[in-house]
Amino acid sequence: MKCSKAIPAALLLALTLTACGSNAGTTEQTAGETVFRYGTVAYGPEMANAGLNPHEAYSGWSAVRYGVGETLFRLSETMELEPWLAESWEWVDDTTLSITLRDGVTFSSGRALDGQAVKECLDHLVAVHDRAPGDLNIDAIEADGQTVTITCNAPNPALPNYLSDPYGAIIDMDYGTDGVDETRNVAGTGPFVAYEVADDHIYLNKNETYWGGTPQVDRVEVRSITDGDTLTMALQAGQLDAVQGLPYASLELFADENQYTISSADTSRVFFGAYNYETEALQDIRVRQAIAMAIDKDSFTEVLLHSNGTPAVGPFSFDTDGVTAPAYDPDAARSLLAEAGWTDSDGDGYVDQDGQPLTIRWLTYPGRQELPLLAEAAQATLQEVGIQVEINSTANHLGVLESGDWDVYVSAFVAAPTGDPAYFFTTHCLDSSAKNRGGYHSDELEAQAAQLAGTFDPAERAALGTAMSQTILDDCGYFFASYLRMNFVMNNRVTGFTAHPSDYYEITAQLSVGQ
Amino acid sequence: MSTKLRVRLCAALALAVVLLALLSPWLTPYDPNAQDMAAALQPPSADHWLGTDSHGRDVLSRVIAGARTSVFSALILVAASAVSGSVIGIACGWFGGWLDTLLLRLGDLFLAFPGMVLALAVAGLLGGGMGNAILAIALVSWPKYARLARSQTLTVRSAPYLTAARMAGNGPARLMARHILPNIAGSLLVTASLDIGTMLMELAGLSFLNLGAQPPTAEWGSMMSKGRSLIQTAPWTILGPGLAIFLTVLIFNLLGDSLRDHLDPRRRARKKEQTS
Repeated sequence: MKCSKAIPAALLLALTLTACGSNAGTTEQTAGETVFRYGTVAYGPEMANAGLNPHEAYSGWSAVRYGVGETLFRLSETMELEPWLAESWEWVDDTTLSITLRDGVTFSSGRALDGQAVKECLDHLVAVHDRAPGDLNIDAIEADGQTVTITCNAPNPALPNYLSDPYGAIIDMDYGTDGVDETRNVAGTGPFVAYEVADDHIYLNKNETYWGGTPQVDRVEVRSITDGDTLTMALQAGQLDAVQGLPYASLELFADENQYTISSADTSRVFFGAYNYETEALQDIRVRQAIAMAIDKDSFTEVLLHSNGTPAVGPFSFDTDGVTAPAYDPDAARSLLAEAGWTDSDGDGYVDQDGQPLTIRWLTYPGRQELPLLAEAAQATLQEVGIQVEINSTANHLGVLESGDWDVYVSAFVAAPTGDPAYFFTTHCLDSSAKNRGGYHSDELEAQAAQLAGTFDPAERAALGTAMSQTILDDCGYFFASYLRMNFVMNNRVTGFTAHPSDYYEITAQLSVGQ
Repeated sequence: MSTKLRVRLCAALALAVVLLALLSPWLTPYDPNAQDMAAALQPPSADHWLGTDSHGRDVLSRVIAGARTSVFSALILVAASAVSGSVIGIACGWFGGWLDTLLLRLGDLFLAFPGMVLALAVAGLLGGGMGNAILAIALVSWPKYARLARSQTLTVRSAPYLTAARMAGNGPARLMARHILPNIAGSLLVTASLDIGTMLMELAGLSFLNLGAQPPTAEWGSMMSKGRSLIQTAPWTILGPGLAIFLTVLIFNLLGDSLRDHLDPRRRARKKEQTS
């Protein structure tokens, strides 16, 4: 008898504990309230986008993604520029852009959006941000009512595009200190207002006074869940309504259209490798070419990405026909290494020179789950041509980059988030680029970049972008592995949540969660 | 089953595991590191008994090859911890004084932290690699052996046979090596054999967290880590290494238990009483 009572009690306890466990980390939902619970691998310190302050590293991405901040311009589904907080714009001359702001927009702090607010925000942005000053190249900003006039130091045809970068999200600089309060919150103009900001989550309420219409959801919980399996199981268990960054292998678990919806978009995010030019062996173009020829992009994309992407040629997914890159050819790679003086003199399977094997320290990070897979695949194919690869897949990749203890850094980067080709080159490939950590230099590319900076015609800019891509490919300055398709997986109660090719418009006023 | 028979059976199984690890290069049906993308994620079949992983590598071959990394690393780790801890413990017990105080407090310092957490910190600081993982866990494991050896040494220190050996002119080193160690080795051996399974799991844990074996080295913990995102779609990728860890830990734990029973003087005395 004792036993018959004990078993149900134990089961009940187990169920209770399980229930407690399953609710861990979630907040109470009041009656009638609609809450959208979203898990993502793309938020947090590892991605340098923790917090909402657009003037800090990549946190502007979080501000825009999660519906707090909005930029003067935005990108359409076809990656064309369109006004957002701006109503219209015109070039006064080659260096001066006049922007007329939309009427009736207010920050969540209550302040009205006007030229002065935009001026204060952009002035602070170029004073403190790492990439913005170089991109925007602003000499002066003048405000007059709803008009802002930006004068650049030199012709800057991509200025409107750069202003659509999330670092250009307009926040109220009167809010807190320099626009950020002690809880790391900011006052933006978006459909949601954060009430809790941390490194691993952001909680938001709807902005009742949003200029673009009343948001459909009362509350949004954004959680950083960097483990893809946890994300998978949380969605299966119903703890989350939608997720971003599921392992591709898990997508088939959500194929049932009666339960789940998958929204996909081909983005300009590219998996690519940068070389450390401090490493003597990599200063030889033949070695770099051999490395590029020893990476089997097709297999990586087809097998390890489960065809959720396409093999890359250059930096831009929209420009694969205009450029050529070394194809996978292990025999040619071996020949190139031999030509460069790298042969397997001791028969250990690895090429060497002066008794030193050709060893590449391959730095990457696990935040993008496919990057370690690429590293291991490349390790095997590079071994076939005699190059030894030591993989360092660490969340502290930025620290290792700083230390210089790397030869190849493989990362995922949105190459054209502003819809303009200049962005990738200005961030990575020029002498002045903030992310040119390997010290790449090309006289030809510098000259082309200077030419691009003075070219206003979009067709000419596109052609120059193609030429610049070819320059770095001819130089084997970088290698490009694959373009990525991003996926949002959500339960069928969720609507208005769509993957965008820019990779940074996620939570909008149209987001809705049914009962 | 008699304890002697149990010891023999468990020792035979443990020996089989060690032999598997030793002979693994000749036992794997495929090159454990050879990738065949066209054969990725194949379920178990006649060609691949335990299936293939995401890179098209034969899981059985990697499990067999992983035995070498996992088992030998655990054995090296246990040996390093037991030898260093025992030497320190015996020296502390024999000499006493400031040496005892200093080394024991140092051991206390390590024991004050949760072992795995400290090992994680050390491994994180040193970077990935089995060598660093072994060093990290050894650093937090030796105090247990030191304490055990010290207490055993204190017990036997004033035994008549030691007084006799001392009077026969034996120096401290000889006394400790020839007279103390053989008399306390039983309990150290039991502890060490019980530790093999634990250490194997701790090393697998560090590898699971990418702080142990680095690619392309086959190691059970790292294999499970890589296969965990496939647990629902290709469960065979973690089944092989998971079973390997389970069985090996079980064998070494049973060996340790049997040894403890076999070497326990009270148990032997009870048995003698029962038979007489």
